[in-house]
Amino acid sequence: MNTAPTPLQSDTVLLPELIGDLTGIAEFGVAGELLAAFIGAFIVGSLMLAMTGIAGPWAKRKITAAFTDRIAVNHLGPGGILVIVADSVRLLSKENIIPEDADRPAYDLAPIIIAGSALLGFAVIPMGSGIHLADPEVGLVYVFAVAGIASVGLMMAGYASGNKYSMLGGLRAVAQNIAYEIPLVVTGMSVVLFAGSLRMSEIVAVQNETTLFTIPGLEWAIPAWFALVNPFAFVLFLIANFAEVGRNPFDMPEAPAELVAGYQTEYSSVYFVLVYLGEFLHIFLGGAIITTIFLGGPAGPGPAELGIVWFIIKIWSVFLLTQWLRSAIPRVRIDHLIEIGWKGLLVLSFANLFLTAAIVGVIQ
Amino acid sequence: MSTGLEETSDAETVDVTEAELEALIGDRALARDEHENAPGFVVNPDEVQSVLGDLKDEAGYDHLSCVTAQQYEDRYESIYHLKKYDDASDEVSIVVPTTRDDPVSESAEPVFRTADWHEREAYDLVGIEYADHPDLRRILLPETWQGHPLSDDYDQDKPQLVTLAEHENPLADDHHDAESDTMFLNVGPHHPATHGVLHVKTVLDGETIVDVDPDIGYLHRCEEQMCQQGTYRHQIMPYPDRWDYVSSGLLNEWAYARAIEDLADIEVPEYAQVIRTMGAELCRIASHMLALGTFALDVYGEFTAIFQYTFRDREVVQDILEDLTGQRMMFNYFRVGGVAWDLPEPREEFFEQTRDFLDELPAKVAEYNDMVTSNEIFQTRCIDTGVLEPDVAKDYGCTGPVARGSGVDYDLRRDDPYGYYEHLDWDVVTRDGCDNYARVLCRMEEVEESAKIIEQCLDLLEEWPEDDREVQANVPRTLKPDAGSEIYRAVEAAKGELGIYIRSDGTDKPGRFKIRSPCFSNLQALPEMTEGEYIPDLVASLGSLDIVLGEVDR
Repeated sequence: MNTAPTPLQSDTVLLPELIGDLTGIAEFGVAGELLAAFIGAFIVGSLMLAMTGIAGPWAKRKITAAFTDRIAVNHLGPGGILVIVADSVRLLSKENIIPEDADRPAYDLAPIIIAGSALLGFAVIPMGSGIHLADPEVGLVYVFAVAGIASVGLMMAGYASGNKYSMLGGLRAVAQNIAYEIPLVVTGMSVVLFAGSLRMSEIVAVQNETTLFTIPGLEWAIPAWFALVNPFAFVLFLIANFAEVGRNPFDMPEAPAELVAGYQTEYSSVYFVLVYLGEFLHIFLGGAIITTIFLGGPAGPGPAELGIVWFIIKIWSVFLLTQWLRSAIPRVRIDHLIEIGWKGLLVLSFANLFLTAAIVGVIQ
Repeated sequence: MSTGLEETSDAETVDVTEAELEALIGDRALARDEHENAPGFVVNPDEVQSVLGDLKDEAGYDHLSCVTAQQYEDRYESIYHLKKYDDASDEVSIVVPTTRDDPVSESAEPVFRTADWHEREAYDLVGIEYADHPDLRRILLPETWQGHPLSDDYDQDKPQLVTLAEHENPLADDHHDAESDTMFLNVGPHHPATHGVLHVKTVLDGETIVDVDPDIGYLHRCEEQMCQQGTYRHQIMPYPDRWDYVSSGLLNEWAYARAIEDLADIEVPEYAQVIRTMGAELCRIASHMLALGTFALDVYGEFTAIFQYTFRDREVVQDILEDLTGQRMMFNYFRVGGVAWDLPEPREEFFEQTRDFLDELPAKVAEYNDMVTSNEIFQTRCIDTGVLEPDVAKDYGCTGPVARGSGVDYDLRRDDPYGYYEHLDWDVVTRDGCDNYARVLCRMEEVEESAKIIEQCLDLLEEWPEDDREVQANVPRTLKPDAGSEIYRAVEAAKGELGIYIRSDGTDKPGRFKIRSPCFSNLQALPEMTEGEYIPDLVASLGSLDIVLGEVDR
């Protein structure tokens, strides 16, 4: 097994370049490149927002209903899918109530930051089938950094709403994100040790070009996806990720039974939609990061053109897992949550980092 | 409050005869006042604490079940209904009359903590003032209410304007205390975890709870007064269904049925008693299922599957009850002297349906144990949170699974038998954990015990000779118990001791109808359980108390 990764040159064509070449606008120099980049970003953004649109009003209901022996939406369209349209109209046509005590413009900016920070992250994710907006050398660091901006949005939302429940939710969000960001990044770094690069395309390439083992008789080569190479890191990352995106059992910042709706208590209408979108985008971004650094990115059986399909299947699997946990796992208490973060995950993630470093060092 | 002492004094004075009681109270008894359920002693308004204190410490009457207040033409009267946790059938009533001009009576709160809320209610609705009471505010009605609705001179036609701004505007006061770091937080009246319209005034230090003050009364529907305006025979029975309205209907109906049957001396046919016992236990299962489901909502989160699972199983019970009574929630199935009708025809189908449910129940309970009670996160959330020590539980008059979860072995079905319970083979479930977890386990085990009871009832009903299936005693069309006769009778409802006090004034309607709600007393212990813990523990404790606001506020 070849575990000494050689620095690979990314030979994939990025989406803006592809668009520039196909439409011919690349000939217009910088302005053309910029336009191509905008078009590319628009495509990726629309794709992600469309997935969120399906996940929020429809898929979430159907999945939860399946866990709880119910049917859920089934009146509008096949399988109730048109409830997405109905819900959009409903949510957007509601009155946007802004509390008297709200601290504007922080109150107005928070939803945009929450939703925007997640969208930014998708810029560096290789989604297969040529959909990859940018591939900077520090891709992984970038994605952690922009995902972390969401904490600022949560804190702003909590503090600016002028509501005590919102403030408690905002405080919880910050405490939780600080406690879980470090294990998240440290565990992510163990993958970097393996891959030898922070560049997303190379992390994906290393996973798929290395064969972990071959199933005898079937001639199936199992690729060295890091989830298989280091399951321990995978589990750590999954747990830290659920806390980071605030999903059960770590959905402390909103915990409806305790804090009504936490930081988003006072948001209504369009702002609520943005906050909600932001939450789902963050789940999908978490899924995209997990897919990229642990599950081989867009790789899968079949021709390479199917990459985007595999990618979407993988991030939806992570989404499904969050919904499963939501139906089945009790919420931990806030003090336990912080304890698990600082005393458990942090220690384990460093142990994992040193262990990985030692193994990589020995093998090389 | 010498709650630690009565353990020893109990042992010394187990059986107190009436003569010994007379000797104990001595000169302080102004007169005797016989109640149907217990000997009554009339005492001076300024000797309440000393008499109750002696009864508690010397004679072992450690359970102040209820305080009834009422107004006569010439006086006000507070009645303290005392029982023993060791022997619920050993009762005594302390009657405290006060003059109409100066209705001031000594508070029993220093002896029994539970008297706090009971006396506030008496002050609120009847108008008796209690000296030495730590916090004599209105409890069910808003602070700005004028007059006392259950007193004779109350003008019911006078409009009461209680605006939010005048009552308790949560926005008006600046609750910020500049001196300390605490934060005031209104939990409720509209909050996902309050199980109805309950308002808990909370003071937080960070996320730690410093002070908790439940504010009730949002669902007060004058149930007592409505019962006072209905005739004994038919018009009262529909109301109990609406006290604890989450499928405990038959248990509530039994409370009234038991009180009026004992008051009017009505013998209920055994066959009807078996049907009653079976129906009541079905209600208990439905109620406990709901308690488990909503508790899961509080601890698991709002989208947990557990809630739907318990509702799925509760639905089966609801179907059975619907077949039996013709209704799903508001049964109105009991009658004075029996039940409305016999089991539904064909009987075999009903038996089969019920037995199917009982056969599947153990698997379902095992499933709950797998999913809920053996979950590690659930255990860390519930074990050692919401701790209610047995002494404290007794002091607050807690009953039902709340008391039994604290190791207080008190169950009226066994201790003060009624219905058909004494002829059946079942156990009282107690747990020593004193925490949220113990209360949940207690309810789950009670479900199994109830299933045992239903099973035996089914056997009995199946073999009951066809010519002896009498469902109702022969009760006169108009019931007029003797004027002046008084009774306090309680049954073991799903939430605890549900008691009814009735005083007859010789007409076909009660002179005074008082409901002792188990949730009312249990909720009072909430501050003891939660102070010093976190907000999530407050939510869990509230859930494990399993209150129904319809019964708290009546």
